[in-house]
This record gives sequence, structure tokens and C-alpha cells, in this order.
Amino acid sequence: MKTVAEILKEIRPEFDFTASNDFMADGMLDSFDMVTLVATLDKNYGISIQGTDIIPENFKNLQTIEALLRQCGVSAG
Amino acid sequence: MPMSLVQTVGQVFDSIQNVKAGASAFCTNFFPVQARVQTWIDHGELFSETRERAAFFVRTDRDFGHLYFCAADAPSLQSELTRMNGLDQRRLMADVVGQEAGVAPLLSSLEAAGFGRYSKLVRLARPNPPGASSAGGATSPEITMAGPGDALAILNLLEASFDPLADQLPTLYEIEDAIRASQILVIKREGELAAFLHFETQGMTSTVRYWVVAKAFQSQRLGGALIRHYFASHPAVRRFILWVTATNDNAVQKYQHYGYAPDGLVDHVLSK
Repeated sequence: MKTVAEILKEIRPEFDFTASNDFMADGMLDSFDMVTLVATLDKNYGISIQGTDIIPENFKNLQTIEALLRQCGVSAG
Repeated sequence: MPMSLVQTVGQVFDSIQNVKAGASAFCTNFFPVQARVQTWIDHGELFSETRERAAFFVRTDRDFGHLYFCAADAPSLQSELTRMNGLDQRRLMADVVGQEAGVAPLLSSLEAAGFGRYSKLVRLARPNPPGASSAGGATSPEITMAGPGDALAILNLLEASFDPLADQLPTLYEIEDAIRASQILVIKREGELAAFLHFETQGMTSTVRYWVVAKAFQSQRLGGALIRHYFASHPAVRRFILWVTATNDNAVQKYQHYGYAPDGLVDHVLSK
């Protein structure tokens, strides 16, 4: 199973997501990219991230995304 | 309850939260950025209507409105949309953005509520890895940042070149803000606005909002000069993006020539 960092790298290969603490402020993800990321996370981990959880705070950096996945019952590294 | 003028940003976020609280499959086309919402409120442009299972926001623009929605689920969106009072019977435009396969349920709900498909845009992206050539890198001394006196000419050229209903054209005050933020490059010939490129940069991503050459100055390589200057002046940007009308083959080919390619996102523009 792919890690969150690997998934992000596939979606936006031009960025080093491990080097940022705020993907939005650094211009690495925007609200539209979140739509793509959610669909990919759902497929990769066999989950369904709720619409109520699709907010910028949950996609700020690797740690917040991993915390969101843990809420969905996934252990992601 | 009829649509009412929004007074504070808090009202907007509270309405969204209320819908989310009872949501089983929350859906929205509204991703509000606080500063932008505040600007709309300051200009008296944002109206809202809160219903049991949905919240609607209309931002007035010229003689129509942009509809933003949040709903507990797609069926609620459809049923609440049909009961929505709207604003002054004005035409409403709604954007649904996502990957093609993922937006179908929302499109169906909007169409069932009386909206028709009006236009479709696709997002193009151009990677810019470190050390990459900046499309020739040549710049021209003719290219300058727009000044306050250019705002009206830029607006007039935009409105002559694009469709306000589909292309999210800025208002005069938004152009003035962009000029103050040094986001518009211009070329003038004999005192007349010949071409401009409006962009927005956030961190390592930069978006071309509009790139226009006035009819009288076309075929003089002004557009190429502008975009090469734009690329060369953003060496730290790693991704250049833009939205273009899917059926505008000339524009799509031009962007592809400069290294842009579809990144999978689409924007369906619907009208009622």
C-alpha cells in the first residue's frame, strides 16, 4: 500500500511534500487538488473520507493528512 | 426565507457548518477563502439563503450571479434548489469542479433543478523543475507592470475578449487590486493597451488568469513575449496552471506549445 507521501508525489511530482508544513500556503495544493487527493486516498486505502472532513486544515501537511486517515481507521506512514 | 445580504464572514462559515452538522454526504462547490469573501461582503455583493438541508450563496457580478452551494447530500441539493428563492430573478451561474468521473452526481442534481450546461473548462498545468529553461527566458523592455491608469482599459479588453458568464472575469475593483499587487504585465504601443497577462502566484504555484492581445496588435508576437517574460520572472515557481475553455482549440494548442497539458480537473459551468 502506498504511503501518503508517495500518493502526493504521484499527484504533484514537481513538489517535495516532505519539505513543507503548509501545502496550501506553499502553493503545493489548492482546494481543487484536494478533490483529486481525496479520491486517490479513498481508492488507495479503501475508505470514504466524509465531505465534512474535506477542509483545508486536514490537508495542511503530511501529519494532518495521516491524522485524518487514522480517524478513518487507516494506519498510514 | 429570502436571500439576504451577508454582513460578516462568520455568517458564511456558520451556515456551512450547520449544513455539515447534519450531512450524510456533504457536497459543495464553495471553497471560500476568507479574504476574498470579506472583499465581496465589503462591496455588498454576497447574499445567502439558508434552508433546512442546504445553504446557498450568490455573489452578484454584472447583471448575473455566481451560485455557490453546500448541501447535506446530492438529493437535498436538488430538492432545496428547486425551492430556493434566488435573487431578483437574475440569471445564476454555477461551477462544478472536479475530476470528470466524480462530478456526475452534482451535475445531475443541478440539471434536475433546472440548470443547463453552459460551458466547460479544463485545467492545464506546466511543471517547472529546478534548473529548467524558462521558455527562452527572453524579456522585452516593452513589458511593464500595469499602473492604476490601466485598469479600465484592461477591463474593456477583458470584456471584449471573454464571456463574463463563463470566465469569472474580474470587476474593476478586482483589477485595481491586482494592479496594486503587481499581478498584471502589460505591453503598450503608442499609449494604447496592446496586450496584458494577469497572473496570481501562491508559493510555488502560479496561475495565468488572463492572457490577451488586442485585435489590432495580434500577429506581432506580443503574446509570446509576455508569457516568456512571465515564466522567466518566476524561477521559484514549480507549477504553472490555468483554466481554458475546453472547446477553444486555438487557445489549448497555444498553451500546449508553451508546455501546458491537461491535469485532469474540469470545471462544468451551468446556467439557470
